[in-house]
This record gives sequence, structure tokens and C-alpha cells, in this order.
Amino acid sequence: MTGNGLRQIKFFEFLTDEERREFEEEAELVVFEPGETFIEEGSRPSSLYVLTSGRVEVWKLIPGSGNRLLATIDASEERTVVGERGLLGDSGASATVRAKGEVEAIRIPRSTFRRMISEGRPAAFKLSYRIARTLARRLTRLDEEVVEAIRDLERRGETDLDAFRDKLVTDWTV
Amino acid sequence: MQETPPLPDVPLFERLDREEREELGELLEPVSFGPGEMLIEEGKKDEKLYVLTSGTVEVYKQVIPRRDQLLATIEAPSVVGEMGLLTEPRAAASVVAKTAVKAHGIQRDRFLSMLDAESPAAYKVVYELGRTLAGRMSRTDDSIAKIIPQLECANRRGSRDLNIFQDKLIEEWSF
Repeated sequence: MTGNGLRQIKFFEFLTDEERREFEEEAELVVFEPGETFIEEGSRPSSLYVLTSGRVEVWKLIPGSGNRLLATIDASEERTVVGERGLLGDSGASATVRAKGEVEAIRIPRSTFRRMISEGRPAAFKLSYRIARTLARRLTRLDEEVVEAIRDLERRGETDLDAFRDKLVTDWTV
Repeated sequence: MQETPPLPDVPLFERLDREEREELGELLEPVSFGPGEMLIEEGKKDEKLYVLTSGTVEVYKQVIPRRDQLLATIEAPSVVGEMGLLTEPRAAASVVAKTAVKAHGIQRDRFLSMLDAESPAAYKVVYELGRTLAGRMSRTDDSIAKIIPQLECANRRGSRDLNIFQDKLIEEWSF
């Protein structure tokens, strides 16, 4: 395998070969030991990782109820992208990602991506378009789920409805 | 030749150089709304996004059918209708002018053509939109984390649907 290969990764499919090569040149190959944390909740925005082998766990701190396992991702089934929001956002990561066994990944550091943006490189802007679309789809689906849940609570006469509604439906974008 | 309207001074256009401003300026259609006028109607095709340069708008949604709920109040400078650019062009909520509003409309189709043609100006605007969405995703994640213990309380009282809801929320997590 050509180490930094981004070729067969869905997330990078929309780039031309040339643009993919630009990212391959900037990307770093990284190996994580079992138990190693490479995205830490709250600390800072993450870099983007393409997981190429191994398994990772995604943990999230739930207020009043401790750390919760949100997901286990097996990269040997399909190469998976994590941390993409960190390239665009300024707030800290909202979950912790930890290697379960040995994990290999391709890292596009946030600082590298930001430099490519300030250099005005089209490849970086195209990737940000891809990330923006991913975020928009997720937000739209979340909004739909929230509305469904509120309607459901209303039908059953739940009393916590107002608190629930205020918490979830405060940051709407159209 | 008509004179190009000046590009409004909003964060969305901050990164554009002079040439890019002129290119994008050609897409802008100055428009104003009186109090109570609707910029975007829930459920309708989202054909434009609006760059608000002055005034205040309110966002409403029929969360419970036939009952409009106020979701947000947005003050200029800001943008509404941008989700339609990035997903399906179907407005998830209505946007109504609360005060007199001055804005610039941008046709969705024309903007998407610019993106297809890989226009740097359009890409720069999308980059800024993406940064806004990343911030919103992060705040949404926080809200959901706070709501989960409450959902679990309700689940213990036997609401099975909420379990499903909770699973879906977790699936859509972005970090």
C-alpha cells in the first residue's frame, strides 16, 4: 500500500487525483498503542484522522452520569474518518477517541489544514465544502429527530416538555 | 452595464479579495422586508439564502402541527437559508422579519453553479458557512449531552420511543 493513500476513501472521493496528492503530501502516518487517546473531549479542536486499521472507542462525558461509550469503530471493515469537525470549528472536541488495540491512521493536522486555507489552496476549500455538507446533513437529521421526540412527548402529556424543548431547540439554523 | 452593488460588510465575505467580491457581487439582489413579512416559508423550496445587513428576524417552526413556535431571534449581520445550500432545499423553519430588514438575496442555483465551476469566491463563502455549522454542531452536542440523563429518567418510566430517539441522537454525533 502507498502509505498515505487517500484514494479509496469515500470522504476524499470528490477530489481530483492531483488534489488528493496535495493532502497525501501534507498528511502524516501515525500509529497508536492500545489505550492511547488521540482525540480528547473538551481540550481543543481535533485534527482529522482517517483510520486505516484497528479498532477505536468513542467516549463522551454525560453530565451527572459519567463517561459513556458512544460507539466502537472497526477500521478494518471500512476506513473511517473521525475528527473532521475540528478542522473547521474552534471549540474543543465533543468526544474522546481511544485506540482499543493497535491503530493505524492518516492524520491531516488542523494546523496544516488551516495553513492550506490561508494559502488559498482549492483542495483545502473543497474539503471544507465536504465537511460542511456532512455537518449540515447531521444537523438536519438531528433537528428532525428532536421535533419527532417533542411531538411524541406532547402526545403523551409529558410534563418535562418545556425544559426539554428549550434545551434542544435553541440553536436553530435555517 | 449596471453598477455592481457593494458587498455587505459581514463575516461571511471577510476572506474575499477585491476580484472575488466583484464576482460574488453579481449574484446579490438587494431586498428589504417590512415587519411581519416572510423571508423563508417552512416546508417550501429554499431557493435563496439571505445575507442580513440590518434589522432582526425571527425563526418559527410548527413543532406541534398548526402551532408556530419561536425557535430563535437573529440579528443582522447574519445569514439565513444557508442550510438549503448544503442539503435538500426544503426549509425546515420559517423566517419572518421582526423589524424592517435589509438583506441581499443569493439564488441557490446560481451559487451552486459557481461551486460546480470551482469558483474560489464561492468556496471561501462555503468555508465560512462550514465554520458556523461546526460551532452549531458543537453547541448541539452539548445540549444533547445535557438532555440524555433526562431522557433516561423518562425511559425508566417506560417510554420506549425515547430509547430509539436516544440511539438516533448518539448515531448522529459529530466530534
